[in-house]
Amino acid sequence: MAGAVADRAWRNSSPEAIEVDLATLWREAGQSDVAIARAVMSNLIVVLAPRGDRRALTDIAADLPLDAVVSRHPSRTIVLEHCHRDTPSAPFAAGVGILTFGPPTARYGVEQIVVRSACPEASLLSILRRVVRGDVPTSVWWTEDLSEGAPFDPLLTIGRQLLYDSRQWKDVGRGLAAVVPLVDDGRIDVADLNWRRLAPMRRALVHLRGPLTAAAWRGATVAIGHASGEIAIALLLAGWLRGERRTDPIRVDVESLPERDTETVLRITLGDVIATQTARGVEVTPASTPAFVVAAPKESDADAIAAELRALSPDRALLSALRALRN
Amino acid sequence: MTIVIFGGAGDLAHRKLLPALYNLHVDGLLPPRIAIVGVGRKPTTDDEYRAFAKDGVEKFSRRPIDAQAWEAFAAGLFFGAADLDSEAGLAPLGARLDIVEHERGLNGDRIYYLAIPPTLFAPTVKQLARSRFVPPAEGTRARVIVEKPIGRDLESARAINDAIAEVFAEHQIYRIDHYLGKETVQNILVMRFANSIFEPLFNQKYVDHVQITVAEEEGVGTRAGYYDQAGALRDMVQNHLLQLLAMVAMEPPHSLDADVIRDERLELLRSLRRFEGDAVDDNVVRAQYTGGFIAGKPVPGYREEKGVKPTSQTETYVALRLCIDNWRWAGVPFFLRTGKRLPKRASEISVHLKDVPPILFNADPSARLDPSILSIRIQPDEGFSLGINSKVPGPHVQVYPVKMDFHYGSTFGGTSPEAYERLLLDVIAGDATLFMRRDAVEAAWQWVMPILERWQERGDAGLATYPAGEWGPAAGEQLIQSTGRRWLAP
Repeated sequence: MAGAVADRAWRNSSPEAIEVDLATLWREAGQSDVAIARAVMSNLIVVLAPRGDRRALTDIAADLPLDAVVSRHPSRTIVLEHCHRDTPSAPFAAGVGILTFGPPTARYGVEQIVVRSACPEASLLSILRRVVRGDVPTSVWWTEDLSEGAPFDPLLTIGRQLLYDSRQWKDVGRGLAAVVPLVDDGRIDVADLNWRRLAPMRRALVHLRGPLTAAAWRGATVAIGHASGEIAIALLLAGWLRGERRTDPIRVDVESLPERDTETVLRITLGDVIATQTARGVEVTPASTPAFVVAAPKESDADAIAAELRALSPDRALLSALRALRN
Repeated sequence: MTIVIFGGAGDLAHRKLLPALYNLHVDGLLPPRIAIVGVGRKPTTDDEYRAFAKDGVEKFSRRPIDAQAWEAFAAGLFFGAADLDSEAGLAPLGARLDIVEHERGLNGDRIYYLAIPPTLFAPTVKQLARSRFVPPAEGTRARVIVEKPIGRDLESARAINDAIAEVFAEHQIYRIDHYLGKETVQNILVMRFANSIFEPLFNQKYVDHVQITVAEEEGVGTRAGYYDQAGALRDMVQNHLLQLLAMVAMEPPHSLDADVIRDERLELLRSLRRFEGDAVDDNVVRAQYTGGFIAGKPVPGYREEKGVKPTSQTETYVALRLCIDNWRWAGVPFFLRTGKRLPKRASEISVHLKDVPPILFNADPSARLDPSILSIRIQPDEGFSLGINSKVPGPHVQVYPVKMDFHYGSTFGGTSPEAYERLLLDVIAGDATLFMRRDAVEAAWQWVMPILERWQERGDAGLATYPAGEWGPAAGEQLIQSTGRRWLAP
């Protein structure tokens, strides 16, 4: 269910008129020769920080693979460019659109709402409540660096899932400080695209020694080396290793790798075993047994985002890893 | 056919009735020979009235005005002044109607639309009788349309019904609840009884609970004078919500005959368990909005609204937990809520089916599957959808709640007729299916009265508050959460 945008209808709107304008677009779409089914698997709130260049509403998310995401996971997309103010300090701007995908025999349409706001949180919540549909789950895709600002409360009130990418974090400590309270609070599920990248390494380690609760891990010491800019994924791995064994925890050391190796993301040393993660997968080289490789699935950013949006159950391993990193 | 609108220069005529009649004219659904006569106290020329009507059509019609169609429609528009307070006050109107009907070759069939405050219903119909506007019932050449609210309690409703019954037979009386004229409400019957998939599920064996939400985003607006005397229970629950409940929960009628359907709706109302004393406090929440935000903008609280008493105890929100004591619905709670200054304008019925057993895909207690929900969206975004769980494509077994969605706009295109168009057309055709019969109106009041009496007894004790832009007070959430369920936001 993925493909290029077949058509794009757009109307400038206002927060009060969003539903009316969307209804008008659908009526117009309903009069075309090609039948278009409305596809809504979820509400997807895409949060952007205001940019200096103040783009047109139609281009506000041009840097994101948004069309590709919603072609894979059709959602009522609410692109929110929000700036906190104590009082509403600028007029709200809004626009609505319908993106259609698929061949004429199986065409589906996805609603897109764009809101630019500068207001207090209660004011923002009153806009979001108007535009989210209650009969589908609501996911929040935080596209900015969480270490530079925690998600605002209205999103936690309205969302069921918060999707972010810890790889973007400039300050991992502050990023964790923003996310861990959400885990403790439990109001919203968290999903980290960076955690998804860790899946081959986790599979490789479990393949090597069994589940982390297994006896083979007793007294283990793991050294994690990470490439420059990959400390967040290294810490997630450390959290996962520490979090699963309450008593007799695995000892984990994290350090940065020398700059010269440009391909390696992570290098794990566990006894006489070395596991090296690159973009292609994880190569494990034990001293006494043959080496093996766990491949990383070939997926685009949009594939990864759509896959995370479809996973609504809490990811217990991620929650456990984040809790272990609390301190 | 002559349609005589008392209150013809009022808000309802301006916003709803005249645009509805215009659209019926454009669609070719009005009788070829017709006159529409607005009636009011203030002398107004026909041309002035046509300008008033044109303004209403331009502002409120679902389709833009067409010059040629308007010309033809406007030629049948007239105005007649009347003083309902004086004994002979209708005489000039009678003369005017006779002239209009004679000039246009009309046969004298008339529909009297009482778009006036309910306190004027009885005096107006008495005047109609006194001035010989109503021929003997056998001729059935006169019909009367009455707008809600019909009374403010059971006693006053009976008094109004008695007064109208002195002049009109029941089959000549059309009591409007405009919710029943909405396409999606009519579609409830079609959906339930024209598809073999749904009706077998509509009972206590498969349904966990049902929710009905009628949310208004607007505040009290220009209706403060009326609303502060009425409140949400009288304004919305006694009529719209109970009628929606009746449509979704009634037994299958054996025919589409108006009285057969109305009998079934009445039977449902009579099956509602009545609350007395403490049971009212346990099952009904009332609240009033305070200042907050709507669509990002600050709005005042109810008591700060123009025309509202600063000490008003009028409820702007009501939530109820109801039980229907019949075989079909025994043990199935129905949760109803309505309020002003809620986050958005939306009316929706959701039928929540029971969970699957906690095995297989629903075995993890911390990650229960979403229940299957049939949502009937009455306004806006008319349509319905059925939520079902589906496997996400891929190598793992992962379940995601997806929708089977029917959406009027994208399916049929165009705009659905307004409720008033359908209802006016039905009156012209003499079809009373979508109108409330006297016994149903009084049954609804009978059910509501113990709640009103309990509130009267308690004063402002138990009146909660909620900020404008929220989905109601905490007590409203608690009402449903205490049963392990939660409100579904439209």
